[in-house]
Amino acid sequence: MTLLLRELKILLRSPAGAIQSLMFAVLVIALFPLAITPDPDQLAPLGIGLIWVVTLLACLLAADKSLASDYADGSLEQMVLSDYPLWWMCLVKSMAHWVSCALPLLLMAPILGAMLAMPLDRIVWLMASLVLGSPILSLFCMLGAMLTVGLNQSSALLPILIAPFLVPTLILGTQWATTGGEAFYGYMLAALLCLSVVTLPFATAVVAKIAVSR
Amino acid sequence: MLQIESLSCFRQDRFLFKDLNAKVLPGQALQIVGENGSGKTTLFKILAGLFDEYEGRVILADAGRPLYLGHRYAVNDQLTPIENLNFLLKLNDMQQAEGPLTAALARFQLCSGLDQPCAALSEGQKKRVALARLMLTSARIWLLDEAFSALDAPGRAVLSEVCQAHLASGGTLIFSSHQGIPEFASAAQLHLKAEL
Repeated sequence: MTLLLRELKILLRSPAGAIQSLMFAVLVIALFPLAITPDPDQLAPLGIGLIWVVTLLACLLAADKSLASDYADGSLEQMVLSDYPLWWMCLVKSMAHWVSCALPLLLMAPILGAMLAMPLDRIVWLMASLVLGSPILSLFCMLGAMLTVGLNQSSALLPILIAPFLVPTLILGTQWATTGGEAFYGYMLAALLCLSVVTLPFATAVVAKIAVSR
Repeated sequence: MLQIESLSCFRQDRFLFKDLNAKVLPGQALQIVGENGSGKTTLFKILAGLFDEYEGRVILADAGRPLYLGHRYAVNDQLTPIENLNFLLKLNDMQQAEGPLTAALARFQLCSGLDQPCAALSEGQKKRVALARLMLTSARIWLLDEAFSALDAPGRAVLSEVCQAHLASGGTLIFSSHQGIPEFASAAQLHLKAEL
């Protein structure tokens, strides 16, 4: 709990990173109708996919920032050396990443949906799919960030490395929302979330040990 | 007690060091001496348990986890000195009330600005925040990599007093320093020399 509090304090005092990815997402949604068409009939079917893609990209964009300072100032070394289970700290880091970039987008989804002329029930399904799906994105992003932290070109390498792993979540999430909650996609998404929560923090912890020994 | 037995480390196509042997008993200090790039930091990382690509043995006998303070001393710019210290102690599961924290910081002459983020502090002051942890830790083995650098003369004096108190209470100290520390002039030395 103290650890999560620490992460949130750091986020609150340097909100530039979180705001940047949020602004990116909002701008894409705002510019899209201007560039393609303002016609609601054509826009509405695109809404779910568009907001999902934007959320995914916003998560990727913020990923490397969340670890960079901990690596640079040596906090990561101390975390590896601590008595706390390292996987727990990796999970906390993922939660902080989720709070800083997925949660604001989730809360803004009704506004973003309205900007794309989405009907209300679509927006509700979109939000439900983001609730289940976006934590998976954060967990994978943290794994990718840990893999590339301390490398010179980490921000270029990270999306290439991690994007393929985000695709199943994207497909299941968008399909679940577009089909209006077809059980198969929902179960698969929930299963993927459970699997990610119980495996990825451990993988990230293993990678963290390698990262600090570089 | 800390013992190193025929420790060798091969890194980037060369032996960083080869066949190191040393033994530090409780109450003793060991100074690691070597030029820049001779592998001091790698040796510290090995002793701390951060780096395990080496041959030989490192034995930490019933002393618990050592406390490692490296070049990067884990002080976050966005957090205040108190919050930083609290986090670092929490990592080793030592909850502390604010009183001892302020006292530890005061020992290192940090009295004002404790509710300001560390970004406002100078490099030397940030180092003092990290060092204040020494006052509160229960670790018996201290690994201080270049802890004396970036400190002014009074800061170095406080640090060596704290280290001497640690040794007097039966602790073990391993440190590296490019400056001579008069208080530890008689400490055992381990010389690192890169072999090509």
